[in-house]
Amino acid sequence: MNLMKLVEYFRTQVRQDPEVPSAVAAIRTLLEFLKRDQTGETILGLRENLTQTIRRLEEADSSVAVSSGGELFLRFISLTSLEHPDLSQCKKVMVERGELFLKKISLSRSKVAKLCHTFIKDGAKILTHSSSRVVLKVLESAAADKKRFTVYVTESQPDSAGRQMADKLRKLNIPVTVVLDAAVGYIMEKVDLVIVGAEGVVESGGIINKIGTYQLAVCSKAHNKPFYVVAESFKFVRLYPLNQQDVPERFKYKADTLKAVEDLAEEHPMIDYTPPSLITLIFTDLGVLTPSAVSDELIKLYL
Amino acid sequence: MPGADKETELKGRIEDFLADLKRGGSGTGALRGSGEMARETTYLLRRITAQARWSSAGDLMEIIRHEGRRITAAQPSETTVGNMVRRVLKIIREEYASTASGTSAKQNMVDHVIDGLVEDLSVQIKSNQILFVTYTWLGHEMATGLSKVIIGTQTVLANGGLRAVNGTHSVALAARHHSTPLIVCAPMFKLSPQFPNEEDTFHKFVSPHEVLPFTAGEILSKVNVHCPVFDYVPPELISNIGGNAPSYIYRLMSELYHPEDHKL
Repeated sequence: MNLMKLVEYFRTQVRQDPEVPSAVAAIRTLLEFLKRDQTGETILGLRENLTQTIRRLEEADSSVAVSSGGELFLRFISLTSLEHPDLSQCKKVMVERGELFLKKISLSRSKVAKLCHTFIKDGAKILTHSSSRVVLKVLESAAADKKRFTVYVTESQPDSAGRQMADKLRKLNIPVTVVLDAAVGYIMEKVDLVIVGAEGVVESGGIINKIGTYQLAVCSKAHNKPFYVVAESFKFVRLYPLNQQDVPERFKYKADTLKAVEDLAEEHPMIDYTPPSLITLIFTDLGVLTPSAVSDELIKLYL
Repeated sequence: MPGADKETELKGRIEDFLADLKRGGSGTGALRGSGEMARETTYLLRRITAQARWSSAGDLMEIIRHEGRRITAAQPSETTVGNMVRRVLKIIREEYASTASGTSAKQNMVDHVIDGLVEDLSVQIKSNQILFVTYTWLGHEMATGLSKVIIGTQTVLANGGLRAVNGTHSVALAARHHSTPLIVCAPMFKLSPQFPNEEDTFHKFVSPHEVLPFTAGEILSKVNVHCPVFDYVPPELISNIGGNAPSYIYRLMSELYHPEDHKL
């Protein structure tokens, strides 16, 4: 299965089901590739092919989750005893493990929502940033639990993703207000808690998320409001940025921008890094974690 | 029949324990203090393990979880009870993982380990007697230079924060202001997997008659008096919880309890 067809498959997956995280679509693509691949003759060869495929998918969609999800998938299926002398047997085992991995992560969003919605009290005012499907699920669970709360969403330029989030929340009958990105400081005194999603969770316990999250975190710390992050465990990535400049360029900009533009200094980055000192708690399908607990969990995942 | 007698006796003991819990929690009645409560809970759990009918680790865990839910519902502010139940569940999981043999061997093993836990508790309680200085003087003392402040607590929460007696938050703030280290001493059974912002985790109020007695007269109809028992102390104000930083609590928690047992 050549790489062009793969990217097409990936894009189709994303188009067909917009609810599914892009990392899950990437993993489904990788599994398809594994099933259809004829050229691999050794396990090492298979791994090489898969790694190449992941690189290709990263070029199609530059979000951090695709990179971390792909890496975790690869480790999960191959770091197991593959002692069968026959390659097709080994491949079968790998495919089975791949299906298991996929099933586990499809359930992770609901697990996160179940953990987080108890932290939303009746009458709470929540501030969130841009559009996150995990945060949406959390708010959906809280609403289903008959809790009354209001939501403020930042508009989140340059793509106005916040407005889409507001539309989705209105469909769930949750009172929502869209605020300007610049109005975060103004609105902070009114809110009770801040919940954001994450595109990636790094080793230090910090997060990588849509640009503007760092601002939100600094503001909420200044006003002493709890800052919660909700993320599935496949978003844990092996990075340790020390500051904003340290985040690799391939994550900062959209895939199309990276290919088209020569001088990236003129471009606006799409993501920023929020250090762990500003985060109160991180909700994952592995449990509720303090930022200092993230590195332990990350090591357990990757080893 | 001896079997039926044992069952009714066991049920009787559980009901007695529940009644004690409901009656007063710590401070009054037969169960005074968290240490006492922890010991009593462990004895009860050991009795349940010995006398209830179970044939696999899963059965035993289900029984203990069921009883645990009833016990914690009787007195939700006493987290020690829930913590002991979770600890025993973790012990059962560990024993199951390390043994491969039949039921009777398992039963002996679990008993043996619960005995060990009871001994452990007695040592901890003796070595953790903390003396309190009255809170009103503390600010004055700190300004003239204390070397450190040592406090106890009712519960240590999963984020490293504390649920302690009323007034502790003020002490912690004063200590932070004067840059005096604040050290917390607490036995292991006070570590609870709860978080402070979760619903229903927090408050317990008592009658304010000690602050504003009924003899105060007219003013009583004009004011609302709240008398909370506990204070929340955030982890940022604490220097040390018995040799560990508050951010390390999650590690101790993962050694004591299994994540699936956080909700009984």
